[in-house]
Formats: sequence, structure tokens, C-alpha cells
Amino acid sequence: MKKYKFIDNLTSDVMFEAYGKDLKEVFENAAEALFSVICQTKKVGQSIVKDIVIEAEDMRGLMINWLQELIARVDIEELFFSKFEVQEISETKLKAKVYGEKAKPELGETVVKAVTYYKFKFEKTEKGYVARISLDI
Amino acid sequence: MKEKLKKLNEFEWELDKNVRPRMNVKARVIGNKKIIDDLDDGTLEQLTNVACLPGVIEPVIGMSDMHFGYGLPMGAVIAFDPEKGIISSGCTGFDINCGINSIRTNLTYDEVKAKLKELVPALFSAVPCGVGSKGKLRLTPGQLDQVLTRGVNWAVENGYGVKDDIEHTEENGCMEGGDTSKVSDLAKKRGGPQLGTLGAGNHFLEIQKVSEIFDKEYAKKLGITDTNQVLIMLHCGSRGFGHQVASDYLKIHEQAIKKYNIWIPDSQLVGAPANSNEGQDYFAAMKCAVNYAFVNRLVMTQWIRETFEKVFNKDWESMDMKTIYAIAHNITKIEEHTINGEKKKVYVTRKGATRAFPDIPALIAGTMGTASYICKGTEIAMQKTFGSTVHGAGRAMSRHAAIKRFWGGKIKEELAQKGIVAQSTHPKVLAEEAPLAYKNVIDVVDSVHGAGVSPKVCRLTPLGCCKG
Repeated sequence: MKKYKFIDNLTSDVMFEAYGKDLKEVFENAAEALFSVICQTKKVGQSIVKDIVIEAEDMRGLMINWLQELIARVDIEELFFSKFEVQEISETKLKAKVYGEKAKPELGETVVKAVTYYKFKFEKTEKGYVARISLDI
Repeated sequence: MKEKLKKLNEFEWELDKNVRPRMNVKARVIGNKKIIDDLDDGTLEQLTNVACLPGVIEPVIGMSDMHFGYGLPMGAVIAFDPEKGIISSGCTGFDINCGINSIRTNLTYDEVKAKLKELVPALFSAVPCGVGSKGKLRLTPGQLDQVLTRGVNWAVENGYGVKDDIEHTEENGCMEGGDTSKVSDLAKKRGGPQLGTLGAGNHFLEIQKVSEIFDKEYAKKLGITDTNQVLIMLHCGSRGFGHQVASDYLKIHEQAIKKYNIWIPDSQLVGAPANSNEGQDYFAAMKCAVNYAFVNRLVMTQWIRETFEKVFNKDWESMDMKTIYAIAHNITKIEEHTINGEKKKVYVTRKGATRAFPDIPALIAGTMGTASYICKGTEIAMQKTFGSTVHGAGRAMSRHAAIKRFWGGKIKEELAQKGIVAQSTHPKVLAEEAPLAYKNVIDVVDSVHGAGVSPKVCRLTPLGCCKG
């Protein structure tokens, strides 16, 4: 199964769909897609590990909060991430370990300002889950 | 939707209230035929969505640089009644006080051309550009609070800029009433390390030459006297601080529309009644982001001056590097406008639109390869557009499509053939921002000029460009 796919119908910004056979995978793949916009993930090491806990009222909120938290950490901790492991997940809570290294401009791609609600989708399908995300960049 | 546009004159078009259900007011679009021909239906739909919001004042306006955005188009102006209207974090958008500073010099094209290959890299290292670049300032929480509440007054007291810069900044570089208690800790944490950074995407620092002067008398007032005079343009916003304020209040306003039972046609247009706690809290937090952005641009302005000092071996005052004007193009403000013949204070949201008050400069950013403009606000703008005009060329193609279609190395080469030195963190940025990914800035500006909203003062063509 493809991890994610970019969709080319947003004039100013970026939209992608992330896929996963289960919840953990769709959250991991959405984070991977997000960071493929922010930096050159293949060149970003994994020497720094961070524990992340996210809570929300529902699954939709959980996905948005998860991605927003990762975007904020790029600014606050000045890190790029390249590997994401969701360890526990429920409707309203997620625990993850994320791996990365200190941000360097030569490994950067672009600033993602925010996750938006534009055409947001989170669905269970026959094959698993699909999340559609639009980013303001 | 486009077939329902009614032509008023060569540059103005209207969508009546009945083009779809639940519109409270008409929509007006500024644009010449070429602009209207290229407009897509989705963008016009978005404009009519905004016309459905409660307390909106007639008309909602789409500018000639209008393109599809989140909730409402980029290049839109909306005014709300202070009693019946809403304040909308969705409408103001993520990049609060994204805007432009224009700085003049008394240097000529020939003087700068000879040093361009030294100057552009020097600016690129003086002004942190791109994702992953480190800010040079590390503010304490107390200092950040000062930035958020006192705006450029803090900057000038700390050696970034001078009093004259304050006088040439919209709102004198400080919106009164910024309240840091309404800002999340997360926003403050994001803002701390980023003051004095350019960011990425369409944000830029550009060295320009005056290529044509249309209004000599007004240009002279701005210190622009000759073609070939060199100016500097800086385009950026409130960075992660503003993005977080917007993200935080979108969630609060998502709840507020349920609480106050407000119907909105698109979930991205969330807001709260203007006089509610949720509305006023956002307004107070937004003002902090506005102030942050004004300071961000002034800090970088000072670093630009210092870089010119090193490269040209003169002090910046002797190069006359004064701020021509510093202006916002993503903002919500309380302003006095004449509504149905009566002067009234209203909330005006400009999303990708620039203030164009009479005799005050409006700065309009083009693309790396074409041109930017300085225009002049007018009384006509007060009557037609709540004192507003366009903000830039406006995208015509998605970033993703641009990357597929253009190659950054080739773009750099093409710019070099025109004598433009472009530097970016990597070539892809140049592809994303390729001139052909944007609308023709000449049509965009000719439209607002023709409508009398903001006549052209001068055209500026790029010589050197730093991109994130």
C-alpha cells in the first residue's frame, strides 16, 4: 500500500492523502507526508528522539493536533523529524516516539504554516484508513 | 457563477445578492477583462460564501489579484458591523500581518549592479531565510511580551530602526490593545526563537530598481526621484507565532459558532460575535501577532542596512536608507468608514489586500522576474473598497504544479539572463515561485489603477532576490 499521495488541486498550497492499514500507520504516514514537505526526510538523521502525547475530542481532532504539534516543534525545538512511531492510539489519545535531528537550512524544503480544515477527510475504508490533509505553506 | 457577474464598467463587476441563497450582501470584483476571464468559479463561490456571514456590510470585495484561499479568497476585503457582525480567525487567516516594507536608497543601478554578486549572498547570510534557519535573537519571555504589546517601539528602543521608521509604518507599528494573556504558551514558544527571520515560500527580500515613475510629484514625497534608483522590498509576516495564534483561535471559534448558533456556509469561515469574549480575545491575540510582524520586518530592515554599510562602506544614513512605508496585507482592524452616508466604526478584514487610504502608499509585490509597484491610496478606495487595494500578483498555479513544471536551476539561469541574482536555500523554492506561476502583475495593477482605487506611482523591477 502506498504511504501517501499528493493531490494537485490547491492553488496556493499543498494537499495530500495518507493511507494506513490501521490507525497507527495512517498517523505515521500522515506525519511522514508532512515532513516530506518541510525537509528532505531521506537526508535527516534519527539521533534525537522525542516522546509525544496528543489528546483530542475525536479522531479528526487527534489527527489535526498531531500534525500541528509536529509543526510547532520544528519552530520551538528547531528539529526536523524523519521517523514516526505511534505506540498507542485510541479515539482521543495518541502516544508516539518521533526521531530526527537539529534542523539545518540545507536540509529544509519549506515552512508549513498550519494544518487547515480545507477538504479534511478521515475515513475507514475496506483497506484500512485514509486521511486527507491540506497544509497552508 | 462567473456568468452571473454583472459588468459595471471596464474594471468593476458585481454579483447580485440573489446569485445564490443566503447572501446578505452583494459582492464586487475589481479586474479588467483578462483578470475576469481567468478567474475560476471556486474563487467566486468563496467570495459569495463570505457575503453570507452575519453582520457583513455591503459589498464584499474581491481584488484583481484574487485567488482561491482558505475559506475566502486571497485578495478579499470584508467589513463587519461591530454590533451584528463577527470577528473571524478563519477570515484573517494563518499569516497574520503578512506584509511589506519598502526601503529606499540613494544608490543607483550601476553602483549596485557592480556589487550585486557580493550583496545578495551577504544579505542572505544576514537575514535568516528558509525553514531550519536559526534566528539570531533569543528573546526572554519578558522581551517577547514587550514586542507583542509595544510593537516597533520596543524595536527602536533596542537599536532596531529609528523613530522615522515608526512614523512610516501602518498603525505606527503598534496596534494598541494587544493582550499577551490571550495568547497560548505554545504560540509564545514558537515566537521566541523566530523574531528576525524571513520564513519561506512566497516571502522574500528583494533589491529593486525603479524602472518607471508614473506620478513624479508623489514619488518625490517618498524620496523616489529617478529611474534606476535602488530600493529594497521585504515581504514576510508573523512567522510561527501568528500561525499558532490562528490555529488556536480556529479551534475556539469552531466551538463559538456552535455556542452562538451562527450559520456559516464553509467551516473554514469560523468566527465569533464581534462583541463576545471569544471575538475580543481573538482580536487581542491577533494584535500581538500584528505587532510581532511589524517588529520582525523592522529588525530585518536594520540588518539589511548594516549589510549595505559593510558592502558599500558607507553608513546607512548617508545612503538614505529610510523606510518608505511598512504595510500589512493580512489583518483585521477597526476603522471608520462611511456606510450609507454615515460615518461608522467597523471591523475591516483584509486577506491578501493592502490598505489604500488617501495619499498613503500601498506596496504591491510582484514576482522574482517581473515587477512590483508602489501605488497611492485614494478617496475613491474609501468609497469603493473600504480603503483597500491588491497585495501582489496572486498565484495562478499551485506550488506543486509549479515544481512539476519548472526546474529551479533553469529559473535561476533565466533570471540571471535578465541580470537578476537570485539566491535560495535550494532550487525548488525558485521553481515554486517561478514568475509564470503567478498572474500577470501588470493586469492586476492596471485594474486597481483603472478603477481609481490605487493609481500607480512607480514600477520596481528586481535586481537581486533572497528566498527562503
